[in-house]
Amino acid sequence: MRKVGALKWAAGRWDSFGLPFLVALLLLVFSLLSSPFRSVYNLVSNLSFASLVAIGSIGMVFCIMSGDFDISIGSMSALAGVLGASMVARIGGPAAMLVTVALATLCGFVNGVFVTKLRIPAFITTLGMQFVYRALAYIYTTNTPVYIKDPFWLSIGSGSVLGIPFPVVLMVLCFGAAVYVLRKTPFGRYVIAVGTNRNAAMLSGINVDLVKNAVFTLVGFFVGIATVVTASYLGSVNPGMTGQGYEFQVITVVVLGGTALSGGNGNLLGAFFAALFITYMQNGLGLKQVNSYWQYVATGMVLIFAVGINRLKSAILGQRET
Amino acid sequence: MKKILCVLIVLMVVGGVVFAGGQGEKKSTQKTVGFSLWTMEYTFFQAVEKGVRDACKDLGYTYVMIDQNGKADKMVNDLNSLVGQKVDGIVITPVDPGAIGPAVQKARDAKIPVVCADIGKSGPVNALLISNNFKGGQMAMEFIDKTLKAKGVTSKKVGVGTVQPQWTYARGRGDGFIAKAKELGYTVASELIVQNPTAEGGYDTMQQMMSAVPDLAAVFYCSGREAVGAANAIKAADKPIIVVGYNGDPEEIQAMRDGIMAADIAQQPYNIGYESVKLLQKIFAGEKYEDAVVPVEVALLTPDTIDKFQADYEAKMKK
Amino acid sequence: MIRFLKLYEKFGIFIFIFAGAVFLAFATPNFLKLDTILNIIAQGSYAAVVGYGMTLAVTSGGFDLSVESVMALTSVFLAILIPVIGIPLAIVASLLVAAFVGMLNGLIISKLKVNPLITTLSMMTIIKGVALLCAGGKMIVILQKQFMSIGTGKLLGIPIPIYIMVVFFGIFYLVLYRSSFGRHVAAVGSNENAVRISGVNVDVVKIGVYVLVALTSGVASVVRTSQALIGMPSMSPGFVLVALTVTILGGTSLTGGRGNLWGTLLAAVFISMIYYGLNLINVQIFYQMLSVGLVLMLALFIEGLRLRYLKAAKAKGIKV
Repeated sequence: MRKVGALKWAAGRWDSFGLPFLVALLLLVFSLLSSPFRSVYNLVSNLSFASLVAIGSIGMVFCIMSGDFDISIGSMSALAGVLGASMVARIGGPAAMLVTVALATLCGFVNGVFVTKLRIPAFITTLGMQFVYRALAYIYTTNTPVYIKDPFWLSIGSGSVLGIPFPVVLMVLCFGAAVYVLRKTPFGRYVIAVGTNRNAAMLSGINVDLVKNAVFTLVGFFVGIATVVTASYLGSVNPGMTGQGYEFQVITVVVLGGTALSGGNGNLLGAFFAALFITYMQNGLGLKQVNSYWQYVATGMVLIFAVGINRLKSAILGQRET
Repeated sequence: MKKILCVLIVLMVVGGVVFAGGQGEKKSTQKTVGFSLWTMEYTFFQAVEKGVRDACKDLGYTYVMIDQNGKADKMVNDLNSLVGQKVDGIVITPVDPGAIGPAVQKARDAKIPVVCADIGKSGPVNALLISNNFKGGQMAMEFIDKTLKAKGVTSKKVGVGTVQPQWTYARGRGDGFIAKAKELGYTVASELIVQNPTAEGGYDTMQQMMSAVPDLAAVFYCSGREAVGAANAIKAADKPIIVVGYNGDPEEIQAMRDGIMAADIAQQPYNIGYESVKLLQKIFAGEKYEDAVVPVEVALLTPDTIDKFQADYEAKMKK
Repeated sequence: MIRFLKLYEKFGIFIFIFAGAVFLAFATPNFLKLDTILNIIAQGSYAAVVGYGMTLAVTSGGFDLSVESVMALTSVFLAILIPVIGIPLAIVASLLVAAFVGMLNGLIISKLKVNPLITTLSMMTIIKGVALLCAGGKMIVILQKQFMSIGTGKLLGIPIPIYIMVVFFGIFYLVLYRSSFGRHVAAVGSNENAVRISGVNVDVVKIGVYVLVALTSGVASVVRTSQALIGMPSMSPGFVLVALTVTILGGTSLTGGRGNLWGTLLAAVFISMIYYGLNLINVQIFYQMLSVGLVLMLALFIEGLRLRYLKAAKAKGIKV
């Protein structure tokens, strides 16, 4: 009797504590196994690295919560990045960074327009736009990478505030703002309503189109910020390479974090911890000199395992499956 | 806010372990070389890796390897990680040579020399060891010219299957080929980027090329696997087109044995890896290298020279 | 008008193909040659075959992102097994391996209730690792040259891959439209709970679907491997996106329940025509990419209009 009670207690807490618990476990295990892993330098620099995906995932959480998908974010990142980076010489670092964010936001907005006004389903719109954005990035740069020489932009990736790297600070700020919007503003509630039951939301007076458009624009916005940080981290933007596979990384993090693909419920902090989990796991496996091929197998299995635990939790609690 | 508590507990636990465990210091006086590699998926890079590993063994260095898994951002993180581990020297085969700048700067600031083994470079690296790609392309065209003349082929049309634009240094192969072709009076009737960089991709592109230029005399593929696919396509279409590849991988050797590929420009990936570490050794000893490009010779392989080449290759990879 | 719009569902892509063909015929004399046209269709056949599987998966309400890795695994097994047990047995064994992976996908999706995105995405990574491990990271050369005839041979002047595309179209047509299994698949895609209540074993249906997708990947891999004559642990990066594109371009709805097999086949040929044709006239690949993206969106925009027109007509009482 008590055992079942304990399981139920754990399952009930899983949504809030499950992933942080897994992250802590992971950190513990690898810290014990690997001496370079447990250095402060390594732990902190991986936090920085995790922010590249984590920041971009914020907008995606909103998007999936509202019942849609965006797989064009990698190409969006490439286009916004190359355009912004190429303007550094003319308008200076800070302004160019703003251009990148603005352009990514615009791309998100365009996606939203196609979905709401032209009624092309989100998956297809973004599947198509993904080709379009990247092609535009190639054409604009005639296939050469754009280097970032501006010291201010470069300092974003490597600089720090009171010992905490900029990217981490930015990540915390972004998540903080997003959590606030989701929990404390009407917009957050509208997003959940639209994702849960679109027709009901419409009937209750919510302008579904406006909400969806806003969500896609948000996706672009956060991808833009992530692009600025990534470009600083890498020192260049490459039309062919920037953002390749980014959409899969972000969606993995969002789903692993507990946001249901069917829409409605979203877990922003879950996405944060999921990003940490994947980053530290890959780092730990690499530092232990695990054979590259086995790393692939391990990464895939851990992913299924982690999501499987989610299922187990739902089963224990008798929740509806997504 | 229980969540914050959770995170704090995590940090305390880890902090405790950190204090107990130290900062990843090395205890031996041996030098450590960190090697960051694009991927272990292809034979070329496996040879580079073996070269680096063997050199470390021969020179008495501790060897640490991280696989970038083909991702540019992981590559940068890995570089930072090696710097954090306080390695003595870094060798890197970068998936995106344009993205290593800031990370290399960090390494140099920490007094760690960085040598690029193939692909390309950016930022304050000490040196880049890379095949003389331009010359390789020229050699391919010279071979084709000689062969066509010997066979009495009148068509002056050649084609090039090039690599994707982001591999700037590898593009040199195509550039060299085209330059030499113009010099020798040939027309480059088709220059296609092989969109799918695999053997079957070469097969498809070759079919397209044959449709576009029915009287093609010869073709050069800048990447070995693609050349093998292209050779198969030519055989299937039963056309007398001469194929030359680039790289020197085992599958190209086999294609030459089968008689479908006429020649191959062989790189020396094992040597590139090995020499990179030896260059580090020189830098450790005080020699100055800054932003140097050290070209590594490529060789023209033909059906009569492949036996020796293959024996050499297997000996190196077995060690 | 209504009749035209209903026919469009099946043959709409044909209009695109026709337009494209006219354009190419004027643009280059090399297009209207038998060889060229056959090659275009053949190059579309690889995506078509996997597309059939993907159409089935999407109709059931899911999709399969692991196709690339299954292709790689099949390729590696072919290379390892052909020298040992001969070509025909090796093909059968390798396809069984592919089917096994599909079964794993199906089991995880139905029994463990992990959603198809994560399952197949993770499986893609796992199988990629497995393929690399089995091959030791090497490209394994296949020395038995007769194997090449599958991918490169011709029967009555038509490349064998085209026959494979047609035969499998027939098989999948029967499965999807003429069998109870196919009806169950469509039903599961529309309303899974209703199907469950009606007593059908949804789990078996789902497992069947994913086994079939994996089989199509295996078949495509057999053809490609025979063309390259190399067992490749890394094949066609990004191929899953092509398979998804042709499925959606073909008119199969992502919400499940309606599979458009004809559309998939035509879409595969059309996409092949874009890449092949634009390469014929030396248009750079970025413009090719641009075209594919724009075509995809245009096609679906038109599809949206068509559906709304039909819906409005129905509401007005016109017989549809």
